[in-house]
Amino acid sequence: MAEKEYDVLIVGSGASGGMAAYILTQKGLKCLLLEAGALVDFQRQRGLKPVYELPYRGFGKPGKLPHVVQANEFNANQWVDEQQVPYTHDPKSPYNWVRVRMVGGKSLFWARMSYRLSDYEFKAKAHDGFGDNWPISYAELAPFYDRVDPIFRVSGRKEGLPQLPDSLFIEDKSPDGAALERIGTAGKSRGITVTKIRRSLGDGQFASSFNLLLPAAQATGNLTIVPNAVVRAVTTDKNTGKANGVSFVDRQSGRELHAKAKVVVLGASCLESTRILLNSKIANSSGVLGHYLHDQFYISNGVMGVMPEAKDGKAPRGLLGSAGYIPRFSNLKAPNTKAKNFLRGYACDLYPGATPDAKYFPAWGAELQKQLDSHRGAGIGTTIMGEVLPRFENFVKLDPTVKDAWGIPVLNFQCRYTDNEFNMAKHAVDTISQVFKDAGFDVLNANDKMHPPGYSIHELGTCRMGENPKTSVLNKWNQSHDVKNLFVMDGSSFVTGGTQNPTLTILALAMRASEYLAEQARKGAL
Amino acid sequence: MKRRKFIQTLAVTPAAALPMVSESNAETTVGAQRSQEEAPKLETAPLDAAGETTPGFFSAPQLAALKKLSAILMPPLNNMPGALEAGAPEFLDFLISKSPAERKQLYTTGLNTLNAQATKRFGKAFADVTDAQAAELLAPLRQPWTYQPPADPFARFLREAKQDVRTATINSREYALAASSGGRRGGSGLGQYWYPID
Repeated sequence: MAEKEYDVLIVGSGASGGMAAYILTQKGLKCLLLEAGALVDFQRQRGLKPVYELPYRGFGKPGKLPHVVQANEFNANQWVDEQQVPYTHDPKSPYNWVRVRMVGGKSLFWARMSYRLSDYEFKAKAHDGFGDNWPISYAELAPFYDRVDPIFRVSGRKEGLPQLPDSLFIEDKSPDGAALERIGTAGKSRGITVTKIRRSLGDGQFASSFNLLLPAAQATGNLTIVPNAVVRAVTTDKNTGKANGVSFVDRQSGRELHAKAKVVVLGASCLESTRILLNSKIANSSGVLGHYLHDQFYISNGVMGVMPEAKDGKAPRGLLGSAGYIPRFSNLKAPNTKAKNFLRGYACDLYPGATPDAKYFPAWGAELQKQLDSHRGAGIGTTIMGEVLPRFENFVKLDPTVKDAWGIPVLNFQCRYTDNEFNMAKHAVDTISQVFKDAGFDVLNANDKMHPPGYSIHELGTCRMGENPKTSVLNKWNQSHDVKNLFVMDGSSFVTGGTQNPTLTILALAMRASEYLAEQARKGAL
Repeated sequence: MKRRKFIQTLAVTPAAALPMVSESNAETTVGAQRSQEEAPKLETAPLDAAGETTPGFFSAPQLAALKKLSAILMPPLNNMPGALEAGAPEFLDFLISKSPAERKQLYTTGLNTLNAQATKRFGKAFADVTDAQAAELLAPLRQPWTYQPPADPFARFLREAKQDVRTATINSREYALAASSGGRRGGSGLGQYWYPID
């Protein structure tokens, strides 16, 4: 039987693969989308259970998901099985690679925080001299952000901050709680602003490619979705060097298959796309494929604050309010923002009304319970999110000795944070602690030790874009410098990541790249 | 219903309302009312309703120390069961038996240290010390929490045990039942469970 040749073969069904399908099918291109995981029936696949009915009473099966701190016994089956798809790293330099394989990918589970990058990221080198600029500016991507916003229904409030451009918001009209206003006032002299969080509302249950992109793409009649297809490699024509399809494996049976296409788009997630390219042995004339791995470091409750007047259930009306966000305020063009011992900056989520965990109280028994009862709802939780500098020295490569359940070589991680991140983390915790105190809050605990790299699930880089083919893998259209009918549209294309959650930018980049792809295909230029 | 009466009823009942059952198989009425495609739904009870965990990992002195430690860390309070009532020590015996070697070592060494220190300072096993004496031995728990676990294995053990005993208690069936009967919100421990994906 002759293989059918599609116009475009898309690998991955999450944010980037879903957006590629959404745009390309509407342009009339016949698309095949391969997803490594299953199509999940959410009605059948999930169900309410009491924790005491779980085999390990909520602790989870020991050793099942050692790197996925976010996992618990309820959701353990939603993450990629680390025994089935392992990866390796130096035990002293752990990397928490958190993966989802199902139609919709990680977009089914993201926290929906939706922030735009600014020219502080796109033109970072021009601002502080480190690393490289993106080959695009904010102005070039802004029209695509403007089109993504209404699809994902981004809520927020216009703030007019140069380091955090506003979206086309569904306006968040909820009043600010007094707690956040006090933090804003206390931090003002340091350049701190407290904003609303910005969040994709989607349709309520999901804000995912699964409900917002793929149904529309399929409605065109131009999309074929094939789940359970684990891609091994992109294949190329030996005469032209151009991509001509992918080889893949049936996830369930192990049967080997091949699919043909005129153009290949990788949107398999940052590190899976890079892994596919490394296994394909293409698109790496620069030698930087796999390099410049970065993310945002996270510190959960770097500062755990307590609002004294809210203890013992006595929170005054209007104190708590909703969650807030402190955008980057270090090393901006504004005066007095220069940090002494680090480049770039960090952001912080704020959660007034939190209940501090028992671990924060050096007590046990009745004394501990008394403390917990007193502090219930009186805490202010924080998540500190710091920009990690993209460095050539942080990279992934193929592990020559380890393969996954389908015989595909796995990734080895070489990644560690440096003094820039450590100094930034200390600055963040010291500063937020002082701001809390100035706002009249107690600091129950302060911790400047970040989670291992990868924890944020914001892995970026390794297939970065750039003007120079000698120092980048992709051009400014997410198109391979080496293989012109090959595109990589996920977070691997990032040059820098800033402090912002990356999904909104991934969506905008994939939209922009797909429009370019369609136009080039129409011209016969691929 | 006697057979004669049943037949008389049939004679005056419209056909559409007739149950698809005859007197000879009346005992299967409930099953027959289900459509043929529908599987029966039986009520079941959780394992913990049927029995108690049989410990088998820790030695007798270690388990005795763990029970004492659990009782001190999480006693019954506010009409809620404590760790002993929730079977937390026995459950942890099971959990640790399934855990990586490093965690097994942490617990066995930690429990041995508790017993050794109790013997050295008070001349008796940890299971027999008073609450005041236990408090002296648990002094490392008075240190503020840090992200990095304590370097001292005994302090690290106590920190983990404090968390584990608490979780094993709060996530127990006994705790959920008590919360439910007390009308506490959120005490049922209900969560959205993901079944394994084929």
